[in-house]
Amino acid sequence: MKAMIWGLLFCAGTANAQFNLDRLNINKLIDTTKNVVKATTDIAEPEEIQIGKDVASRLLGAAPLAKDENLQRYVNRVGRWLASQTERPDLPWQFGVMEAPQLNAFAVPGGTIFVTRGLVEKMKSEAELAGVLAHEISHVLRKHHLKAIQKGAQTQLAGDALNQALRNQNAQVREKLVSFGSEMYTRGLDKGDELEADRYGVVIAARAGYDSYGLPAVLQTLQAMNATDSALALMFKTHPAPGERLASLGDTMQPTLDAYAKQPQLADRFLSTLRK
Amino acid sequence: MKYLLTLLFLPLLAYAEPATLLRASELKAQPASDAATVAQLAAEAAVDAGERNGGWVRVRTAAGAEGWVKMLALRYGGTGAAKKGDSGISQAINVARSGASGTQVTTGVRGLDEADIHTARPNPAELKKLEGYAESKQGSAGFAESGKLKAQRVEYPK
Repeated sequence: MKAMIWGLLFCAGTANAQFNLDRLNINKLIDTTKNVVKATTDIAEPEEIQIGKDVASRLLGAAPLAKDENLQRYVNRVGRWLASQTERPDLPWQFGVMEAPQLNAFAVPGGTIFVTRGLVEKMKSEAELAGVLAHEISHVLRKHHLKAIQKGAQTQLAGDALNQALRNQNAQVREKLVSFGSEMYTRGLDKGDELEADRYGVVIAARAGYDSYGLPAVLQTLQAMNATDSALALMFKTHPAPGERLASLGDTMQPTLDAYAKQPQLADRFLSTLRK
Repeated sequence: MKYLLTLLFLPLLAYAEPATLLRASELKAQPASDAATVAQLAAEAAVDAGERNGGWVRVRTAAGAEGWVKMLALRYGGTGAAKKGDSGISQAINVARSGASGTQVTTGVRGLDEADIHTARPNPAELKKLEGYAESKQGSAGFAESGKLKAQRVEYPK
């Protein structure tokens, strides 16, 4: 629907501009131009999914998927179950374990979530995996990366160039957009976005029936590691410190955490999948 | 004999992680707020942390008292020096890093450092594989059921 309105606005804008230029109806021209620019500030879902695919492909160029079909399918089952409990249950959700020793996880617009094997191997239960996946799902849900990509693109690209890029009409500009999107993962989001994803992640894991302490448990594992560990470098550069994230969860989520603390952790199912 | 072995190994296995209390806390006999209080622990007290039960973690104090404290009252890792070393990757990467600085340029090591993302090219073959692993909504529901996971309403924080 959004895409339709946006397309209509775009066409209307172009048509009006052509007709009105003759009459020098400047006010109307300015109005329509405003509309077109305003419309592009909200990327529609099909475009979000397409940008996401391009960015996901780029990230997979940095680290391929772990060659463990059993593990990949398992992570997809956990992730899809979590995503089904959210307000965007019908996105083409897909989850992948990347073959990389670094500890990290990534959310890509449109519903693609990656977690590194390095991070998975530090986990002790399915509830911990669910906590991390739910944090990433929250980024997609709240469109954190999409909004950041858009904001960045708007400062670099003129409104019509962004439009063309999204509509696949300008390969060069589109390439720029995807590049910018991929670079997001080396710069990180705003701290507020990360803390929000932690809070939402706890809720989504609880909705799916998991022990709500899965995400805090992973954060404590990270906290116990040496902060200068090179495997943590990129994650620590792009996220608030684990101690700060835990304190924030304690301040805001204690009642939710405690209400769902006794739900299943499924440690055996997790560990047996990891070791197969 | 069994008892002796338990005595010998339990402390090593059960209280493996050094941790510090973020705030003054009651040491509880059981993992519950209404359980008996074993001791009052001061903020910054050093403890050894063990298993987790819900929002509680079993700890042993320097004085040898044992009980449970709230998980989010604990900061894991001892002082800087007591923290565990590198997980082994940095050595591997450092070997491959060029130049004496040991930073910036990595060579020959695959992974997900900043530089790997900067230089990455699209990998459509892997993307296709990723799509192939995706699970359906229905499939994931059956998987949840086999794990006795029950979906329920939980509101987001304001």
